[in-house]
Amino acid sequence: MPLRSSSTESDVETEVSVITERPWNVIVWNDPVTPMTVVVVVFKRIFGYSNNKCTHLMMTVHHEGRANVWSGQRERAESYCVKLQVAGLQATVERDA
Amino acid sequence: MPGKLFTRRRDGRIEVRLSDAGRGVIREVFAHVLAAERDPGHEWHLSLNAPINPSSDDDDPLSSLARQNEIATNAELSVMTLKEQYLTDAEAWAWLSTLQVALRSTAVVNGILSDEKLESAAPELLEDIRTMQQFLFELAACF
Repeated sequence: MPLRSSSTESDVETEVSVITERPWNVIVWNDPVTPMTVVVVVFKRIFGYSNNKCTHLMMTVHHEGRANVWSGQRERAESYCVKLQVAGLQATVERDA
Repeated sequence: MPGKLFTRRRDGRIEVRLSDAGRGVIREVFAHVLAAERDPGHEWHLSLNAPINPSSDDDDPLSSLARQNEIATNAELSVMTLKEQYLTDAEAWAWLSTLQVALRSTAVVNGILSDEKLESAAPELLEDIRTMQQFLFELAACF
């Protein structure tokens, strides 16, 4: 195999690999009616996080308007997003910047 | 001081201590969620079908279908257990999820998207929202 061709293929493969590794984030958005305790128990039930982590994430949603509650593969991110929506929270997925 | 509306017992079940009037409110709320899930013309239907991935023109149909099924299952389980005095953990979770879906749908269809909008809401609407929040607050304390 010619050296030049091999080198080009390697470069392309590296780029594809980097793109694939960009995670998907599950975002929960603030709203004015959902009780804070509900947000905490939903995070705890769906993700199994500790009380402290759930409370911290809930406060981030409250103060900053949104929080990234999970990152990883797209399929799992969408699955978590659906679970959050089924529990009545406003959630979306987005690709990590 | 009024007693708790929901209490987790030592055997793991959740006791419902709602009055007939309270159960009537819950019955109406659950019926609305069930109707909204089945009827595309229901005013809450759109809020039950919010985008999952806003950067995409269409969501994955499997994800949308999973959401539809789970919301409907929770609402159906909630309706079926309306008269129960004791709920299992899964039944109580269905109540909490369905109540929360109803609360957010009520807010969305009435344009209540900020604290200011909530404070200036009509008294009757505000009372409905406060009632659902109270139920949710007490039910969430059981988990």
